[in-house]
Amino acid sequence: MIIDFISKVFIVLALIFMFFGVYGIFRFRDFYSRVLISSKVETVGFLTIMAGIMLKTGFGYSTLKILFICLMVIVTNPLSTHAVARSALKSGYKISEENNDD
Amino acid sequence: MGFLDAVLIVVSIYAAVVLIRVVIGPTIWDRLLGFNMISSKIIMSIVILSVVTDRSFLLDIALVYSFLGFIGTVLIARFVETRGEI
Repeated sequence: MIIDFISKVFIVLALIFMFFGVYGIFRFRDFYSRVLISSKVETVGFLTIMAGIMLKTGFGYSTLKILFICLMVIVTNPLSTHAVARSALKSGYKISEENNDD
Repeated sequence: MGFLDAVLIVVSIYAAVVLIRVVIGPTIWDRLLGFNMISSKIIMSIVILSVVTDRSFLLDIALVYSFLGFIGTVLIARFVETRGEI
């Protein structure tokens, strides 16, 4: 019973993280701060939701599969965000191009 | 209307909101970032759906989809960076 409650707390916590990620996308003016915030919070939100679901499904093969998905996302999400930011930097995207007024 | 159904709805609302950034994103990389975020939200909803409907084979689909999302994002990023010749 308590585990069910803890998994619910985890999932709600993850939704709050993801809200910050989505809010961060619209809040920042230029691309670099946007990519920094949203990708980081995205990965954390993903892992928290998966932790909550793993608690909910208990021991079993489906939990093992969810664990594989978590490991997969831990590796690939930062990598793909790095690739995006690197391609932005390499092809000469300057911050001053955008009118960052704040 | 279980708890996980509400979570599913909230995650899809987040995906729709990120879609706005993909549409209005001033640069290509904003769109790529939006694509990356939406694909990870889709993986989340697939996993939640597999728990709600208790079908464990959906998890394999989510795993393969995260591979493809990653490869797609990296490939497009490199394509944009090298302007055509990867």
